[in-house]
Amino acid sequence: MTPALEATGLGKRYRGGWALRDLSLAVPEGRVVALVGPNGAGKSTLLHLAVGLLDPTHGTVRAFGEPVRQAGVAFMAQDKPLYDGFTVAEMLRFGRTLNPGWDDDLARNRLAELEIPLRRKVGRLSGGQQTQVALTLAVAKRPRLLVLDEPLADLDPLARQDVLRALMSTVAESGMTVVFSSHVVADLKDTCDWLVVLNRGRLQVSGDIDELVAGHRVLRGPVEAADAIADRLPVIAHERTDRQATLLVRSAQPVPDPRWHEHRVDLEQMVLAYLRDPGSSALPRPALAALGKDDRPWSG
Amino acid sequence: MVWLTLRQHRMQLLAMLVLLLGAGALLLFSGLEAQGYAAAHAPPGCPGQQDVCGEVNAGLADRYDAVYLFVGMLPLAAPVLVGAFWGAPLLAREYEQGTNKLAWTQAASLRRWLTVKLALLATAVTVSGLVMSAMVSAWLPGFREAKGDTSFANAGVFSMVGVSPAVWWLFAFLFGAASGTVVRRVLPAMAVAVLGVVTVTFVLFNLRDTYAEPVRLVTTHYETALDRGAMMKELTWLSPSGVESALPPFDVCSMPNTQRGAIEQETCLFEKGYQRVFYHHPTSRFWRFQWTEAGILLAGALPLGGLTVIRTLRRRN
Repeated sequence: MTPALEATGLGKRYRGGWALRDLSLAVPEGRVVALVGPNGAGKSTLLHLAVGLLDPTHGTVRAFGEPVRQAGVAFMAQDKPLYDGFTVAEMLRFGRTLNPGWDDDLARNRLAELEIPLRRKVGRLSGGQQTQVALTLAVAKRPRLLVLDEPLADLDPLARQDVLRALMSTVAESGMTVVFSSHVVADLKDTCDWLVVLNRGRLQVSGDIDELVAGHRVLRGPVEAADAIADRLPVIAHERTDRQATLLVRSAQPVPDPRWHEHRVDLEQMVLAYLRDPGSSALPRPALAALGKDDRPWSG
Repeated sequence: MVWLTLRQHRMQLLAMLVLLLGAGALLLFSGLEAQGYAAAHAPPGCPGQQDVCGEVNAGLADRYDAVYLFVGMLPLAAPVLVGAFWGAPLLAREYEQGTNKLAWTQAASLRRWLTVKLALLATAVTVSGLVMSAMVSAWLPGFREAKGDTSFANAGVFSMVGVSPAVWWLFAFLFGAASGTVVRRVLPAMAVAVLGVVTVTFVLFNLRDTYAEPVRLVTTHYETALDRGAMMKELTWLSPSGVESALPPFDVCSMPNTQRGAIEQETCLFEKGYQRVFYHHPTSRFWRFQWTEAGILLAGALPLGGLTVIRTLRRRN
C-alpha cells in the first residue's frame, strides 16, 4: 500500500544550519500520527516540508505517492493563521473559492455545533474558537492527509479537550490520515496510534505505538548484571543505584534471567528516554532500508 | 480568487475610488467655474494673449494655481501611496501574519493565487492612473490661454497626463510588492517602498530633459519664435563674435538691479548684436517623452515583478 506520507533522505538547511537531516520515514494510511520532539527539534520544518510550504534541500517527500502539493493535503499552522478582518462566513467562502472539493455543509454544521457565529469577525473570536475555525477550514477541504502543527498550544485545558474531541470525531468519520505535532506527550497518548520522535533535526522513532510499547521493556535487577544485558540488547536509558539497576531496553522478547523483573513501559516514559539519548533510535526496517539506499554510499 | 483579491484589498480599492471621485469632482467644478468666469468677464477678442485679456487671464491663472496645489502634489504623493498601501502589504502582510501558510496550502496553487492578485491589482492601478490622466487632461484646456500649455513644461503636470500616471502607479505598485517579498514585514516594506519611489521620482524628474537632444534656437524675438510650453533645458547668450556664455557680458551694457533693468539690459544687448540661445524641447515632443519615461519605468517594473514572483514561488524559508 502506498504510504500516506513518505520521506526519503529528507534534509533542510537554513542559513543558520541544518534544521532537518537525513530523514526517511513512511506512515501508513489511516493513522493518527503524533510528531513529538523538544522545541527546535525540526517538527515545524518537517511539517512545512510535508505540506509543500518549504522545498527540501535534499531528498523527497510524497503523500500517497504524489508530490505533496497535488496530493490533497490540509494544513493548520502553529499560529492558526486566519484573516482577522474576515468574518467567519468570509473565511468559509475563502475555503470554498480555493478548494474544488470543499464541503460547505460539513463546515457550516461543524461551526453550528460549536456555536460559532458566522457573522462575527475572526479577530473577535476567542483563541479556542479561532482554532476551531482554522480546523474547520482544514477538514472541510476533505483532505486525505491532515497536518496540524501544535494544534493544542495556547489553548486552555478545556478548549484543548474540545478541540481534540472534535478533531477525533471528524477523523473517525472520514478515515483521513492525521499528523499532529506537540511537545507535550500527554496530549497525544489517547488519540494517536503512530509515533514519530524528532530530536535535533534527526528522526529517532517512527512506528506503531502498540508495537513500540510491546517492543520495549523496563527491567529492574542487580547492578552487577546490567552490563551483560547491555551487551545483548539496545539500552535506551539506565539508572543505577549501588545495588539496583533500572534499564529501558528495546526487545520484543522477555529476558530469561530470573534476577530481572519486567515492567510494561509507559509511552511518555519511553519518549522521554529517547529524547534524553539522541544517539539511540527505533526505526522500522523500510525507513532504514531507504536511508541506506540513498545516503549511505558505504553500505552497498 | 477574484473575490478574495477584491475582499482583501477592498480598503485600497475604496481609497482609490474616493481619490478618483474627489479629484474628478474638484477638476469638474474648477473647470466649469473657470468657464463661467471667463464667459462673464472676458472682453471681446478674448480668449487670447492680447493686453485686453490680461485681467481675465490673471483670474484664470489664480484658479489654476489653487487647483494645482492639489494636482501638483499627486505626481509624488499618488505613487508613494500606491507603493506603500497597495504594493508593500500585498505579500508582507501575509508573511507577517502567517496567513501565507493558510493561503498557500489550499488546492488552488500558489502560482495562480499570485498571478490573479498581481494581475488584478496591477490592472486596477493602471486603469486608475489612466482615469486620473483623462480627468486632468480634460481640465487643462480651459486654462491654456492663461497659463500656456503646461502639460509638457511643468514636471508635475507632465506626470499627471498622457500615460504617465498609469505607468508611475504601476511601477510604484510593483516596487512595493517586491519590497514586501524582500523585507516580509509591513511597516519596513512600506518604508522601503516610500524611499524607493521618492528616489526614483527625483532621479527621473531631473533626467527628463535628457530624454532627447535639445533643439538649439538662436533668436532675439523669443516671444514669437519660441514654442510656448516648451521644456527648457538651458539658456545662454551668444556674442556677435559667436562666443556662447551662460551669463551676459558685464562690460557692454549696464548691469541690472531690478526686473525692469534686466529687460533694459536685454534690449541693449540685442541692439549690440547679442542674441539669446534656447536649448529646449518643443511641445511636439510630448508623446516621445511620455513613452520614453513609460519605457524606463516599465523596464524597471519588469524585474521588480519578476523578483516578486521568483521570491514568492521559491520556498526556501
